[in-house]
Amino acid sequence: MNAPQSVNIIMIEDDEGHARLIEKNIRRAGIMNAIRHFTDGTSALDYIFNDTSGPQLNGPALVLLDLNLPDMSGTDILARIKNSDGPVKRTPVVVLTTTDDSREIQRCYDLGANVYITKPVNYESFAQAIRQLGLFLSVIQVPDLGDERG
Amino acid sequence: MADLPATTVQRSQLARRMAVLMAFGFLALLAVGYAAVRVMQRNEVHTRLVEHTFRVENAVLDTRRLIEQSETARRGFMLMPSRIVTLNTFRRTQDELDRTLSRLGGLISDNPVQSRNLQSLRLQLANLTARRLRSIALVERGDQRGALMLFADDGEVRDLRTIRYLLDRMAAAERRLMTYRDQELRASERLFYAIIVFAGGLLAVVATISLVTILSYTRDIARSEEALQALNVGLEDMVAARTADLTRANDEIQRFAYIVSHDLRSPLVNVMGFTAELETAAGSLGALLDRVEADAPELASEEARLAAREDLPEAIGFIRASTQKMDRLINAILQLSRQGRRALTPEKIEVAAMVTQIGETLSHRLSEADATLSVEGELPMVVTDRFALDQILSNLIENAVKYLRPGVPGRITVSGRRERDRAVLIVRDNGRGIDPRDHQRVFDLFRRSGAQDRPGEGIGLATVRALVFRLGGTIDVASTLGQGAAFTLSLPLVLPHQEIAA
Repeated sequence: MNAPQSVNIIMIEDDEGHARLIEKNIRRAGIMNAIRHFTDGTSALDYIFNDTSGPQLNGPALVLLDLNLPDMSGTDILARIKNSDGPVKRTPVVVLTTTDDSREIQRCYDLGANVYITKPVNYESFAQAIRQLGLFLSVIQVPDLGDERG
Repeated sequence: MADLPATTVQRSQLARRMAVLMAFGFLALLAVGYAAVRVMQRNEVHTRLVEHTFRVENAVLDTRRLIEQSETARRGFMLMPSRIVTLNTFRRTQDELDRTLSRLGGLISDNPVQSRNLQSLRLQLANLTARRLRSIALVERGDQRGALMLFADDGEVRDLRTIRYLLDRMAAAERRLMTYRDQELRASERLFYAIIVFAGGLLAVVATISLVTILSYTRDIARSEEALQALNVGLEDMVAARTADLTRANDEIQRFAYIVSHDLRSPLVNVMGFTAELETAAGSLGALLDRVEADAPELASEEARLAAREDLPEAIGFIRASTQKMDRLINAILQLSRQGRRALTPEKIEVAAMVTQIGETLSHRLSEADATLSVEGELPMVVTDRFALDQILSNLIENAVKYLRPGVPGRITVSGRRERDRAVLIVRDNGRGIDPRDHQRVFDLFRRSGAQDRPGEGIGLATVRALVFRLGGTIDVASTLGQGAAFTLSLPLVLPHQEIAA
């Protein structure tokens, strides 16, 4: 069994405000896992695959991914994660973005996204969605990446 | 394009030229034919004449031979009176001579000179024959001597000479005639050959000119056809390029609208989110102020009270209202952009049934506004996209219900007619109408007309116009303020199937 506390949350979100609101509402839902925030795809991928504390080399993780990033498309990051060879492949990815285009949603699921959530503009529903995501995160089982390596 | 009329001019020129050439060719052929017929006739006549001449000559020769033969027979009889055979021969030749003469007479009856000759011949012959018969009679009587005396007479020799001379003359005359006719024939033959040579030359010239003309004309046609084809290909390319440009531009606008609305949404999430946070914070502050006022009223300043109770809620309220409105506007743009991207599926639609259905959907609002919706006359059938047409008519009818005159029972009618390959639909109301200055403006996005006393963002008619354009139609409004409005919709009767917009 994996204690939920040991799961790192990696948030890839270029909008500082969105990131802050997401973090606040996750905390309000009672999730106290460490949240690493990246505002661009390059540094996020670098952390995921190369950092000693990243999911490739250390422990399970969960990715919150925005699709509109300044340096690359979120779907590219999703493809990189899901097409990799190591334990990162099994890392759950929650796509959290403003795009509600059905083709975009379909594409994300085709690439292996685990959950797709549209950011509602109405704040109340947004806050509620994030809090529910928090509840969801508190029960979600993340594969223990350490087991595979051992 | 410039060389096409030139070809037409050339074509009429060519037709004239070819006609003239053909006429010459036919004339030449006619001349040859005429000449050939003439020469044939001449030849025939000549052949007959030559035959005639030969027959005359033959008769003349026969005459001569018979005269000589009868002379020989007479002399033989005179020498040997016992030989009756000789006498018979004389008699027979004498008879034959008569027949030959009459044959000759028949042959030369058309020739006065020869007739005269024959006349003299006959006289001489009659003389001779009489002399011969006398001598024969003498011999028969046994007077051989008397017969020889008669025979020795010079007169007889003279007669015979004259006869021979006459016969020669007749033969010569006939021969001359033939020579003359030969010459005539040769002359006509020469003329014929000349005509043939001339006509042949003419034909050759005509053929050459025709050939050259046709060849050059064919070359011209090939050239202009090539030019035409190049022009066609150019035109097709141009149309294809323009269409591609338009499609690209349209796609770009759609993409642009989509991206803009999404990117506008992102900061809006922040504004609304943090406004909510601010509200929560203001609530906490208000609660604190309440406690302070209860516990230590001297600490609560008038400014703090104003800020917490009025300024903050008011500011937050305005921010919210504005962001909500902005959200609606962005959603409207998104909706328009999505409709532009939707694939159209043409199908047969009963417009009257569709209007009735819309009326049922709006029945609550219609009765609330004391309005009626009716179909006037026959509505044409159209083949178009059901969803788009439904949106268009719904929006127009909804607008009509929305902008009725207060206190006046609303009458909304939908009428229609067919105009060649287009269907015209008119949605008419007796509502408050639209100021003529705003007739074009009302179709613009976010633009509204008249008193802003009804909810709305100014999206409906913009959507209607966008949809009408997509269906290949046009829309127009006729209205005077306070007297209702009539929206006239012109759609193609049959919307062609389209390729799905990328």
